[in-house]
Amino acid sequence: MVEPLISVRNIKKYFNVGRGKLKAVDGISFDIYPGETFGLVGESGCGKSTVGRTIIRLYEPTDGKVFFSGENIYELSRSEMQEIRRNFQMIFQDPYASLNPRMTVEEIVGEPMEIHHVYKGHKKRNERVIELLKLVGLNEEHALRFPHEFSGGQRQRIGIARALALNPKFIVCDEPISALDVSIQAQVVNLLKSLQKELGLTYLFIAHDLSMVRYISDRVGVMYLGHMMEVASSEELYDNPLHPYTKALLSAIPIPDPEIQRNRHRIILEGDVPSPIDPKETCRFVDRCPYATARCREVVPKLRKVGEGHFVACLNI
Amino acid sequence: MEKLLEIKDLKVSFQTFFGEVEAVRGISLHVNKGETVALVGESGCGKSVTASSIMQLLPMPPAFYKGGEILFNGEDIVKKSEKEMQSIRGSEISMIFQDPMTSLNPTMKVGKQIVEGLVKHGKLSFREAEEKAIEMLDLVSVPQSEKRVRQYPHEFSGGMRQRVMIALAMVSNPQLLIADEPTTALDVTVQAQILDLMKSIQEKFGTSIILITHDLGVVADISDRIIVMYAGQLLEEGLVDEVFKEPRHPYTKKLLGSVPRLDMDRMEVLHSIHGTPPDLYIPPKGCPFFDRCDKAMVICKEHMPEREYHTDSHYSCCWLNHSMAKKVAEGSEV
Repeated sequence: MVEPLISVRNIKKYFNVGRGKLKAVDGISFDIYPGETFGLVGESGCGKSTVGRTIIRLYEPTDGKVFFSGENIYELSRSEMQEIRRNFQMIFQDPYASLNPRMTVEEIVGEPMEIHHVYKGHKKRNERVIELLKLVGLNEEHALRFPHEFSGGQRQRIGIARALALNPKFIVCDEPISALDVSIQAQVVNLLKSLQKELGLTYLFIAHDLSMVRYISDRVGVMYLGHMMEVASSEELYDNPLHPYTKALLSAIPIPDPEIQRNRHRIILEGDVPSPIDPKETCRFVDRCPYATARCREVVPKLRKVGEGHFVACLNI
Repeated sequence: MEKLLEIKDLKVSFQTFFGEVEAVRGISLHVNKGETVALVGESGCGKSVTASSIMQLLPMPPAFYKGGEILFNGEDIVKKSEKEMQSIRGSEISMIFQDPMTSLNPTMKVGKQIVEGLVKHGKLSFREAEEKAIEMLDLVSVPQSEKRVRQYPHEFSGGMRQRVMIALAMVSNPQLLIADEPTTALDVTVQAQILDLMKSIQEKFGTSIILITHDLGVVADISDRIIVMYAGQLLEEGLVDEVFKEPRHPYTKKLLGSVPRLDMDRMEVLHSIHGTPPDLYIPPKGCPFFDRCDKAMVICKEHMPEREYHTDSHYSCCWLNHSMAKKVAEGSEV
């Protein structure tokens, strides 16, 4: 039995907003094993980015525990946290907003090493920066340029190089490709995949593009309004979705093949995602679910095991 | 089939501080009555400029028509005065945009926005206008239309706002609807709702649709024909079945290979296209895809290939498909 690298236990993150409590993440548990990619999908506003940020404690959690190699990182002090944080890195969605326009690429990629005092001299550090740039498919000449001189795909590579600077074990990829063009998306995904193989990285891959998540992830979790609805291996989830929300989500993705697309049966959900501010303590999907019963409005379904590595939070299964 | 819109050798440029950007470089296409044509391409390829130039929505200057004509029902739109355009815009040709929040007026009730054009042109009285607005909201399946008609855009969710945009575009029953990335800002479940709505509206009114998108899945879902655009030029065009089943241009092939599909094997490698699209300040002389293409030849750099028709409806612009070209084996490096 492999020990999980990250164990997330019942984490909650509430934000105080004027009208009440916005329950962005409301009690989520899952494990991420070393060397795997865990995909997190859901519609906008479901709390998937908040999960990513809360796990690495960029947000202070409201409640819950996160174990990294057996240690609860939510109990660590500030200095202990900084020490352990070099193991976690993040790649952001917007490659335009996440790089400081006044810093050169060398400074951007070198900054984490400076903060953690990895190298004494500039020379060694700059050697490492160039090594990193080469690793992500850029080269030496790029080191002294500024972010505005690069295209979206190249900027995302710079962001990846920065994330790799401290040899992290775990990287949260928060929609790393959604701001990029289709032809560039494939470049970045292929890069992430090959880096994972080469460096033995573990990813939490957050995205709303389900076909891309299926492609890159080993296991996938489906979120809806702060709750985890279904967790399964990537093949299992897409071949045998059990939760009504997962089914609807999968059937809504258009397949780029007109023949298949015409003959597909689509489940069209009514309405929109409800507000996460003070949600009712029921199944979160109940208002849009075609199979909802009276019991669904009384209790919050728990995530339970239904098959090998397949978990569902639905009362009707 | 009758042609509703025909664009002939359209060239649109922008005068900027750094020089002229040739955004659209001689494209020719047509749209038949009642069909949906998808214009596909990466950002910056000129697809939105093409759409805006049909509506004459481009700010002039810096933009200017460098040549070509846009025939709508046989009349050249490019030559029309602003006054004449006003009677076409919104009533004969309508447009919906990507971001429904920024394209609706936040200080105006949605009902009033929907019928604003009709009231301005004196076609409806105040009382009739409100009834019409409610009727339009019902058409696009906005629930509680009588209440909703008096609300402001911020009280609507993203999907509902896009429905309002569609109601606004359809109010005068236009012959042509230009949809510029109508579902890009929406979630997949809402996207499915909007695509269904667009299909049902087209069936009901027989409107022609130009769909601008980069999502090939959306194209496969609702289009009849697909036109592939790259760096201001058209590289391939055909019926969706033809192009998806047998893409003939290397760019189209790569584009189709670079999106993961729900029904594909996870172990398959995703084909990425190396490099980035060319800079249109200095447009390439030959094929614009030249420096990203695996099969590029010497001639590709110097001369843009002509259209080579594979069927009546399917053409591609590639030297490899030229009738005089030697058969180059698939996958061989040149």
